[in-house]
Amino acid sequence: MTELNDTLGVTREPPKPRSFSKAYWDATREKRLLVQYDKRSGRYQFFPRPTSIYDGRRDLQWRVISGKGEIFSYTIAHRARPPFQGHEPFAIALVTLDEGVNVMANLVHCPRDRLKIGLRVKPFWAPLANGTHLLMFEPD
Amino acid sequence: MALHDTAIVGYAETKIVEKSERDVWELGAEILEALLVKTGFEKAAIDGLVLSSSMTGAGNCFWSQTTADQLGLEVDICQTVDIGGCSPLGAIARAAAAIDAGLCSTVLCLYADTQASENNQRMRAFHSEWTAPLGYLGPPAAFGLLSRRYEHQFGLDYAALGKLAVAQRGHSALNELAVEKLRKPITVDDYLNSRMIADPIRLLDSVMVCDGASGVLVTGRKAAEKKGLSKIAVPIGYGERTNYRAGEAIVDVTESGHLVAGQRAFAKSGLKPSDIASFHPYDDFIIAIMLQLEMLGFCQRGQGCAFIREHDFTHSGDLPLNTGGGQISAGQCGLAGGGTNVVEAVRQLFGEGGKRQVKSTGNALVTGIGGIPYGRNWMSSVVMILTPNA
Repeated sequence: MTELNDTLGVTREPPKPRSFSKAYWDATREKRLLVQYDKRSGRYQFFPRPTSIYDGRRDLQWRVISGKGEIFSYTIAHRARPPFQGHEPFAIALVTLDEGVNVMANLVHCPRDRLKIGLRVKPFWAPLANGTHLLMFEPD
Repeated sequence: MALHDTAIVGYAETKIVEKSERDVWELGAEILEALLVKTGFEKAAIDGLVLSSSMTGAGNCFWSQTTADQLGLEVDICQTVDIGGCSPLGAIARAAAAIDAGLCSTVLCLYADTQASENNQRMRAFHSEWTAPLGYLGPPAAFGLLSRRYEHQFGLDYAALGKLAVAQRGHSALNELAVEKLRKPITVDDYLNSRMIADPIRLLDSVMVCDGASGVLVTGRKAAEKKGLSKIAVPIGYGERTNYRAGEAIVDVTESGHLVAGQRAFAKSGLKPSDIASFHPYDDFIIAIMLQLEMLGFCQRGQGCAFIREHDFTHSGDLPLNTGGGQISAGQCGLAGGGTNVVEAVRQLFGEGGKRQVKSTGNALVTGIGGIPYGRNWMSSVVMILTPNA
């Protein structure tokens, strides 16, 4: 079985945050995972949005969470555009965090034969050029 | 709204090509001319223009106006529908609503895109922050995640999916307007052995982006009768849903808005899935066809592969499927691609299917899929049921 590339060798452009996602990216400088929380419904949401997806109110809180969770689904990219071209195959996972949101990310330190739905994972932070970090996951 | 008081009185489509040397407006002009010639309507009688989304037009926020200008159309309703692959069917629904509201009487629904040769879109969504840094290839990756999850929940028989790919290829071989590259029959083994793009999505699961145009002319039923047009297709049921379960953080990716859009369309039409004479679902990936069979109630959730094994989807079978080849085998004309399956359904209802004519022209069901969200199913789902004699 072909082993998966962890894509850590890919040079990624740091994303440009929006006014309502800046707090998320700022927190990644300290490898902290901030997620929006709606206190009325007691639920989290991801990715960051300008309003609560539950009731349309804007008084969302940012909460630090552990980022632990399990794989909800995954796909293995065999074709990619630059700068990922040539780094195939690599995994993209959809991860259900324990707080109840689904997050997409690349996987590191995960051999192909360990990768399965339900696998427990924890955050791995990949450095970006501007001092922020990209959230990835590794087996827990 | 009395959807069934309107009628599609003509259809037209260009040859689908890998890269068009002709401008997108020239393709649009070909559709306009063909519709005028076929229906006998004068250009001046067209008082509405509703366009599908178009990757070529996407850089121009005056897309419908400038297209009307290029085509010399003076209209009372002028708009672009921007729900991606749902926009061709959505255009018919909006045309019907405008006619029903008395805003206009005869609408050109025009679907023209030359995405392969001139893509002007600049996406402003979640991608730059949340998926581009992952090497996420857009739709193939999304359908890879969806397929793997479906397999986990229900099991997935890839040979059954291959049967759909084979049936559609058989149809494009009979469709002279399909892109030439794809007009060769394939086998289930060809499907299974085609290379992985976003495992478990294979090359032969996927559409090939092409260039082309199609369109329909929509007018009031009474106006059609007055003109003595005997071949008409009447929308007797329609449902549309964008961002199904938007207010939930985690959704079952194997469930789509077609569940509710389909219920609405069937309720309005008075028909049930077993009444459907031919099926023209939006096909960006083969598994989308199977999911729609489940969502629309042709079979139970999780039973899509079993249903596929039990039915014959060729044009002479018990549930003819995308009899022109669908987008996967005829080529996807960018965001106008949904028009390919709409036009094929109308062609079949008119009895003009030629070598691929279906036996029963009592009705046809057409769908759309538009937009790929983050970690969810798809953004927009539409369902329309057409009949020649409502």
